[in-house]
Amino acid sequence: MKKMRVGAVVAVAGVAVALTGCTSASGGGSADGDTIVVDMWAGSEDDTAALEAQMDVVREQNPDIKVELRTAPWGDFFTKLTTNMASGNMACVTGMNSGMLASYTSGFVKLTDEDLTKAGLASSDFAEGSLEILSNKGDMYGVPFDVSTMLTYYNEDQLTAAGADLPAIDWTFDDFEAAAKKATTGGKYGFGIGMGDFQWQALPIAKSGVQPVSQDGTLQLTDPAFADAAEWYAGLVTEQKVAAPVASASDGGWGENQFTSENAAMAVDGTWNAVGYLDNEAGFKAGMAPLPTGENGDLSLILGSGYGIAESCENKEDALKVLGSLLSKDSQDYIASSGRSYPARAESQPLYFESIDEAYREQVKATFEAAFANVQGQYVSDNWAKVGTFIQPSLVSVYNSQESMTAVLESAQQQFGN
Amino acid sequence: MTITNAPKRRSGSLAKVEARQALGFASPALVGLALFTIVPVVLSIVMSFFDWPTFGERTFNGGTNYLRLFEDPNFLPALRNTLVFTVLYVPLSVVLSLALAISLGPRIRGRGALRVLFFIPVVTPMVANVLVWKMLLQPQGLFNGLAQTWFGVELPNFLADKNWAMIMVVIMSVWQGIGYNMLIFSAALEQLPESVMEAARIDGARGFRMTWSIMVPMISPAIFFATIMTMITSLQVFVQPQMLTGGGPGNATQPLVMWIYNQGFKFQDLGLAAAGAWILFALIITVTAIQFKAQKRWVHYEH
Repeated sequence: MKKMRVGAVVAVAGVAVALTGCTSASGGGSADGDTIVVDMWAGSEDDTAALEAQMDVVREQNPDIKVELRTAPWGDFFTKLTTNMASGNMACVTGMNSGMLASYTSGFVKLTDEDLTKAGLASSDFAEGSLEILSNKGDMYGVPFDVSTMLTYYNEDQLTAAGADLPAIDWTFDDFEAAAKKATTGGKYGFGIGMGDFQWQALPIAKSGVQPVSQDGTLQLTDPAFADAAEWYAGLVTEQKVAAPVASASDGGWGENQFTSENAAMAVDGTWNAVGYLDNEAGFKAGMAPLPTGENGDLSLILGSGYGIAESCENKEDALKVLGSLLSKDSQDYIASSGRSYPARAESQPLYFESIDEAYREQVKATFEAAFANVQGQYVSDNWAKVGTFIQPSLVSVYNSQESMTAVLESAQQQFGN
Repeated sequence: MTITNAPKRRSGSLAKVEARQALGFASPALVGLALFTIVPVVLSIVMSFFDWPTFGERTFNGGTNYLRLFEDPNFLPALRNTLVFTVLYVPLSVVLSLALAISLGPRIRGRGALRVLFFIPVVTPMVANVLVWKMLLQPQGLFNGLAQTWFGVELPNFLADKNWAMIMVVIMSVWQGIGYNMLIFSAALEQLPESVMEAARIDGARGFRMTWSIMVPMISPAIFFATIMTMITSLQVFVQPQMLTGGGPGNATQPLVMWIYNQGFKFQDLGLAAAGAWILFALIITVTAIQFKAQKRWVHYEH
């Protein structure tokens, strides 16, 4: 019996040692101490292959550094990141998105100009405003590899058939309403109403020229200009009836799906989906234009993704080098020429347009240039995730006339404004 | 003596060997139980008394989390939604699956195939089930299309209407889960002693009387088991509302588990989430205890 007990104790201790060993070995995000781990989202084999191509650039530029890529699909990436951060096991170089940064700032090192120099980068390398993407309250937590903003996509076949004018570079909100009204015919709608944070906020922000959060991170959902514009936006469904009411709060991509399934002639979505819409599976002729201009201008947000360095990283010097290579000209040129996304490095941006089908190239170039001309970094409050989680399911009630947009915004402001 | 003692010794040593082997075989499971059940459970109790962000400093705050629960504008609605779901779902699911099991009795030809058909939704991934139901229920979906074509009536936007969303979550859940309880009841019905049934028939029991007074009491242990399990799973409901209605419109279909998930993984407040989880645990234990207490009145273990 004694032997048995000793055996059991040894077995349990062994398991415990093995488990602690696992954690300590991967502490600071390194697989075996001197390896720099890069953690990024990738939803398909194509995504992973593209990331590996960028990792090859890193390896070429830093033959003395061992690097390892880890990936998870977008939906799981942030759950995994939360767990990794909680256990102090965050990868040295970790991917981050502008919309998600507010919840994860404590995991990242604040980057200084000196850090950028060590990484072989300079602020002037990047397109204007792009370094705001992974900044929060004035501190920079990461460097972007791509930039994006919101655009209006349209179904040219549907608009032409309805006799509506096509959206142009300098179109206005009046033009938008006129096109949406004309295209609402024969069971089809002129516009696909948005449910995602960016998708629904883009037009109210553009129309009012005001973000729902001020630059210092104060929630201002009830700012009269923004609230009016948001009320107008909901009215596209409830009053003007140019958009279909949403079927369920779980339809996060309602407006975009309505557009791709040819139930709506226009939708607002990010530049990241430009190529997907132009080569749409339904086979309709798609076009794009910047957000319309209103009385208060045409404010648009600059969004994007990039990489930051983990607070827990034990080898910051090497991590900075890896970060620098991931954002080097070679790596950015690869992203641009593959047409995967619009790079943040200014000198690589023209290559993106060369990857676009010749038939669309000029339109895409003109639209992108106009859309990025008047952009502002997104401001978020500390509890921005809670605000989004509250508002999104409530939008369904707004679009179905069970509640007013103003009431929802007031309620959110009251709950999360302090 | 030697003849009698030897087998005893043998059986004694055999028992020891067997005990060792049993422990050997069980130890992976025991280690798993300790690591993945006991430790997390104990940790979650500790967590619920701390201000415990996913990352950053953790500070002991006594029972503040439990007080904060009731200040959260979504906690009580989530608790209410969970209870409403349970009150609607459990009786519906148990009664309908029992009725189904009884109707698929020995006289029905091909009842094996029918049972398989009714069981299919249980094993089909929830995502697929939800997609089908969304296609049926949305304004451009089948139900509204048929209602407009046949009767010229426009149906409500079921999943986006505060008054309908929960009802639809319940109906979809009943459809999805009915096969599981049906199978338990069918197995119990197949085991009914023929002698008792025949005696009842000789005494003139037929139809409803036979079902209500003979069959139901005899399968009451199965009904008890099904009720307990259905009650526990319905208090833990998450996937159906998450996928079908996203907890909306507003918070009309957000159950307690979704609230806990949001606190823990979206808002990174693990202490508050753990406190919510313990309230759910207390609720489940209480309801189950009441059911066990009440079983003496209606569950018969005679046969």
